[in-house]
Amino acid sequence: MSDFFNTYGSLIVFMVLNALLALSLYLPLMAGQLSLASPGFFALGGYIAAIMSTKVFHVEAGAYPLGYVLIEMLLAALASGVLALIVGIPSLRLRGIYLALATIAFIEIVRVLSLTLEITGGAVGIFGIPQPFGTPLGYLWLALPLLIVAALAIWRLERVRVGRAFNAIRADELAAGAMGINTTYHKVLAFTLGAILAGIVGVVYAHVLNTWNARQGTFEAGVAYLTYVLIGGSRTVVGPIVGGLALTALPEVLRSLGGESLPTWLNNFLNSGQSIIYGTLIVLSTTFFPQGLITPRLLRFWRRTRASNDQ
Amino acid sequence: MRGGALVAPPDRQAGVDFSQILQNILNGLSIGSVYAIFALGYTLVFSILGIINFAHGAVFTLGAYFTYALTGQRFGFNGLLSNTALPVALPFIVAMLGGATLAGLVSVLVERVAFRPLRQRNADRLLSVVSSLGVAVILVNLIQYLVGAESYSYPSNPFGLSKPAINFGSVERPIPVRSIQIVIFAVALVILLLLTLAINRTMLGKALQAVAEDLTTARLLGINTKRLIVLTFFVSGFLAGLAGTLVGASQSITGPYFGITFGLKGLGVIVLGGLGNVSGAVLGGFVIGLAEAFVPPQFVQYKEAVAFAILFLILLIRPQGLLGRTQVQKV
Repeated sequence: MSDFFNTYGSLIVFMVLNALLALSLYLPLMAGQLSLASPGFFALGGYIAAIMSTKVFHVEAGAYPLGYVLIEMLLAALASGVLALIVGIPSLRLRGIYLALATIAFIEIVRVLSLTLEITGGAVGIFGIPQPFGTPLGYLWLALPLLIVAALAIWRLERVRVGRAFNAIRADELAAGAMGINTTYHKVLAFTLGAILAGIVGVVYAHVLNTWNARQGTFEAGVAYLTYVLIGGSRTVVGPIVGGLALTALPEVLRSLGGESLPTWLNNFLNSGQSIIYGTLIVLSTTFFPQGLITPRLLRFWRRTRASNDQ
Repeated sequence: MRGGALVAPPDRQAGVDFSQILQNILNGLSIGSVYAIFALGYTLVFSILGIINFAHGAVFTLGAYFTYALTGQRFGFNGLLSNTALPVALPFIVAMLGGATLAGLVSVLVERVAFRPLRQRNADRLLSVVSSLGVAVILVNLIQYLVGAESYSYPSNPFGLSKPAINFGSVERPIPVRSIQIVIFAVALVILLLLTLAINRTMLGKALQAVAEDLTTARLLGINTKRLIVLTFFVSGFLAGLAGTLVGASQSITGPYFGITFGLKGLGVIVLGGLGNVSGAVLGGFVIGLAEAFVPPQFVQYKEAVAFAILFLILLIRPQGLLGRTQVQKV
């Protein structure tokens, strides 16, 4: 068992962190807003962690104190939140596709800036980010509580007034506005919450990876998070979590499927063709199961069967 | 008192600035014309279906690779098709048109796979966006799987030009512009002209305008909308493929992700012109091309961000775009 955790320790941490990133994209989607901005805020959080830990806090030897990581998370949350308001308010006054376009512009601008600015280390990036834990698996102490808190908070959010307003906007924005819901306010709120989550995850990610550069927050990364949400399910909080966990593990599973008995092209495909499989899954899921694999109906069905088994 | 002695002779000062400005304008028009034909592909699809085809950038990349294959050049050693080449070697212009045609056919396939099933199910429009993103991911990675991630260059001097650069200035004050930029500008202008004529002067073009105005009404009036949608996707893919080859000829094909950034910049172009507005896409292409050409040399690393900054500003100031109409959404 300990062998298993040693081999797959970092994979397990990345599974949890990617589930969190999926949630960061799920939040704006709760209010019907397609945002690809998560990688931008994620990159910002990572840079905050990288710069603070290598240039501001000087830790000579030993493990990097967790308290500093928490300060970095707080800073990343603040910065992401403020930036999300700046990006979100102008683009969310509009309906439809405009937010997706604005967020694409945003991540591309972030990418160009991180490639050119001096403080982000240019194309090389920032190296030697200190580690608070000795093993990759140790990061579960940060990632797992974060996932549990985020999941519970979103689960609760869906059951209070604000969450219901999100839902109403997703169902029909004009009707929601006519019912007296301040649509722009709620859309900006959903977008900002997602941005804050992505920024916080960026901090943890930067420490896990030990290095941070402009390749971390790209358009392609945004498409990957979107895949997690869509395949997992975009209508319940469980969906993105399952999608993030499962699709992060998928490449490893595919790789283990390969072997001597298979032809070389198939082995190559199982090793390097994961993105083709992702893309195919996106196309198939939008057509055949637009709500994803975990739908509200499925959850209700499970609950009912469990209830009847208990009796 | 005459203060003229303190400043440089006026004609010389103006001359220096002028040559730089002229050179920027010519370069800007050249790249702008490629933006324009590329963005027209986005806009044609948007005008009839109201959706953005995110696979457009990937089709642009494919067009460049198709042209490369049709000129009979060999692929590299990474990927499934390592070290293979077509038995034929077409002249560059023919290969370019062939590559664009193949790109058009791929675009028709994209419509069949990513858009038609969703349209038939009357699905949310955001889902079409997502599904075209999925197709883009497939195409880009398929290219990488087949021919590897390395960059490819067309044969040098593909258009068989006699001089690498043409001097627009005088002998003392040269204003050199690469002749390939001028060819690109000329090709793009011919395409733009043909397309404008086709849209405004032919029955098919009128039918297209009718469908863009209102798909259901156009169908009730007896227009075969299904066929028109397929045709639009073909034209859109053709334009993307052509743009891909032109950009590839001016620099090189930088790998499977060649078209992604270009495709994202194209979004800036269509938003600037007004979503779904054909003349707007052309205007937007030239404006962004010129804006990029006028980025001063000391800020050249920010050039890539210009289109996105413009996109953001336009959403802030005038979301309907330069030539767009404000749309009142009705329930």
